[in-house]
Amino acid sequence: MRVMNILESCLGVRLLALMVKETRQILRDKQQLFLLTFPPIVQICLYGFALSPDVHDLRLGIVDECKTYKSRELTSALIENQVFKIARGPDDLNSMMKNIERGKVDAGLVIPPDFDRQISQGHQASVQLIIDAVDANTAGITQGYATQMVQNYAQSLLQEQFIRPVVSQVTYAYNPGLISSWFFVPGVLGLVLTLTGTLVSSVTLVKEKDSGTLEQLLMTPAESWEILVAKIVPLLIMLNGTVLLALAVGKIMFDLPFRGNFFTYMFVSGIYIFVVISIGIILATVSKNQRQAILTSFFFNLPLIQLSGAISPIESMPDFFRMLTYLDPLRYYIDCIRNILLRGVGLEVMWKEISVLACVAIVLLLSSAAGFRKQLS
Amino acid sequence: MKKVLAQCKKELAQFIRDKLTVALAFLLPFLSLMLFGFGVRLEIKHIPLVVQNFDSGLMSYDLVDRFFNNEQFDAHKWSGSRPLEDALDKGLAKAGLIIPPEFSRELRQGHTATVQVFVDATDVNNARVMKNSVIGTINGFLQDNRLVPNNLPIKAEIRLWFNPGRRESLYVVPGALVVVLWIFPSLLAALAMVREKESGTILQVYASSITAAEFLFGKILAYMVIAGAMAAFLILCANLFFNIWFVGDPTPYLLGLVLFLFSALGFGTLIGTRMNTQSAAVQAVATGGFTTALLLSGYLYPIRNIVYPLSLLTAVIPARWFVQLSRDSFVRGGGWIYDWYLPVFLAIGAALFFRLAHKNMSKMQLKA
Repeated sequence: MRVMNILESCLGVRLLALMVKETRQILRDKQQLFLLTFPPIVQICLYGFALSPDVHDLRLGIVDECKTYKSRELTSALIENQVFKIARGPDDLNSMMKNIERGKVDAGLVIPPDFDRQISQGHQASVQLIIDAVDANTAGITQGYATQMVQNYAQSLLQEQFIRPVVSQVTYAYNPGLISSWFFVPGVLGLVLTLTGTLVSSVTLVKEKDSGTLEQLLMTPAESWEILVAKIVPLLIMLNGTVLLALAVGKIMFDLPFRGNFFTYMFVSGIYIFVVISIGIILATVSKNQRQAILTSFFFNLPLIQLSGAISPIESMPDFFRMLTYLDPLRYYIDCIRNILLRGVGLEVMWKEISVLACVAIVLLLSSAAGFRKQLS
Repeated sequence: MKKVLAQCKKELAQFIRDKLTVALAFLLPFLSLMLFGFGVRLEIKHIPLVVQNFDSGLMSYDLVDRFFNNEQFDAHKWSGSRPLEDALDKGLAKAGLIIPPEFSRELRQGHTATVQVFVDATDVNNARVMKNSVIGTINGFLQDNRLVPNNLPIKAEIRLWFNPGRRESLYVVPGALVVVLWIFPSLLAALAMVREKESGTILQVYASSITAAEFLFGKILAYMVIAGAMAAFLILCANLFFNIWFVGDPTPYLLGLVLFLFSALGFGTLIGTRMNTQSAAVQAVATGGFTTALLLSGYLYPIRNIVYPLSLLTAVIPARWFVQLSRDSFVRGGGWIYDWYLPVFLAIGAALFFRLAHKNMSKMQLKA
């Protein structure tokens, strides 16, 4: 009760009453609560477990026409680091070629009969490696790996002790284990917040429109800004809850690191929640009914997600599309949370992204408030 | 049969009248295809790289030049006074190379020189691509300077089949076609079904002599015509913009396409019979259809990487089989001998969705 009194003196009776009403409405609506909790959990798990560009266990068909110690050594050198695994099956050339054509194996190695003889006579023996390049990206990485592995094995065969002239010490910064979910889960955190936030905020407003209670609200002495603030604040708190929930799921299911500052994270998320809520309000004011609101949000979300870098990296996009990504607020948010979670950097690096987000939030919030007020009057 | 055709005709007339659905059927699929087809690439082309060279020998300059003159890299110098990690932390570069002071001398004396390579591994896929590119460039440098024996005892001749130029659009676009041809037909069908419920005309249908199967079949037939036109239009667009066309026999694809569209429409109708409002239907298609087609079909990342129990689920997703068929037809050139089983799976899927929708529909009819 004391808390209520303090709040009342700060906010004024009307605003507080409205807020209590909104909070009760949200808490009463099981569907709303479901929307705030269930889809985020499922989506994070689904994206985290289903999306992975890893290159490992490629099925390698082997036609070893030489069948000596050296040729077997070569194959075991290739499967040593789990990029390839040997596909069992007939080992004649024809059936292997067919298997590649059918997509039953991903790569095929052909070792000619004179492989061993060529090497022992000091000539260069050549082996053929055929890679299925339908998946251009995987094929490129496979090609690089295979070249290096064959080269290394060949160097180990040299007569005189071979000193490698240059050793490259590769450090994978931020994600030394190359865990792919560490890339996708922060992206999905942003994506989930966008989808849930726009949906929930547009639905709460449109529902009031649909059921005609918006007129009743107008009859009350409450100002239009009070109505709007009372709508936004509970949503803001709920969506912060979604952020924490999503973060916890990422931590528990995927062991996501948290290297940056927690308060920076909540601060950036808070700004982005404003963006999301404003988008929801704008959608709700533009559309006449719930159906339109949801249909329009569906079409907005598609480019919003595609251009955000949540699923496919922005650096790889063609120039024109990379330019387009700068118009996508979600892009900045995902950038920031990847920065905080994985890179562990703070405001000194991200101030540009954060100020862009803040500007977007202010512009959208003002225009959504203006649109809402126009509708009320 | 007459009833089915009449239902189909009515459905088509309704479709053409509603401008929003016409846009839904042609404009949005086209835009999505462009977005997916042009916008989605996995491999980084110009790697932002910083080089910190502590050596003043000629060898080190030669190596640095190779990075600067290589199309794959967008190289910049990084002064020695600042730690290289800064460039990665600030996001100014994705990779960094440190050449130690002794580099040229070690090489001349036949010792081993160590260079350090930092790779931003936030994006795991490109971390691998970048590592391979850096090491490949260094290896080229060693070979050209005869620091490694040129005639190694083994040479690997690598052939890239089906896509020797490694065009990523050949991989992305056939998959994107499938995703788009799953979402929009199912969305249209779900909306058409729910609209009937919302406006109450479904009661008239119950009262008429048309059976549930006839009604559903007529509806799906009408949308097959629309979805077929959509598919033809999108395939032509794919040809026009991405230069993709059938390799070899197109008949398995065409048969598969008919069955796939039928399952998409069946899925949409099923959702439509389940949901009571258009907004709920859109949401269900968006989460149930879109997410599965996007994540579990192997459209972007290989299916074999999906974690085990989840990977079983892909078997019941028609999009997964059609992605395979699509790639076989547009890139590999499979033909009937290889792909005979894919249309069979798709047919099973189509029958299943139709059966479920029919069951739901009959249940509703009883209630009414």
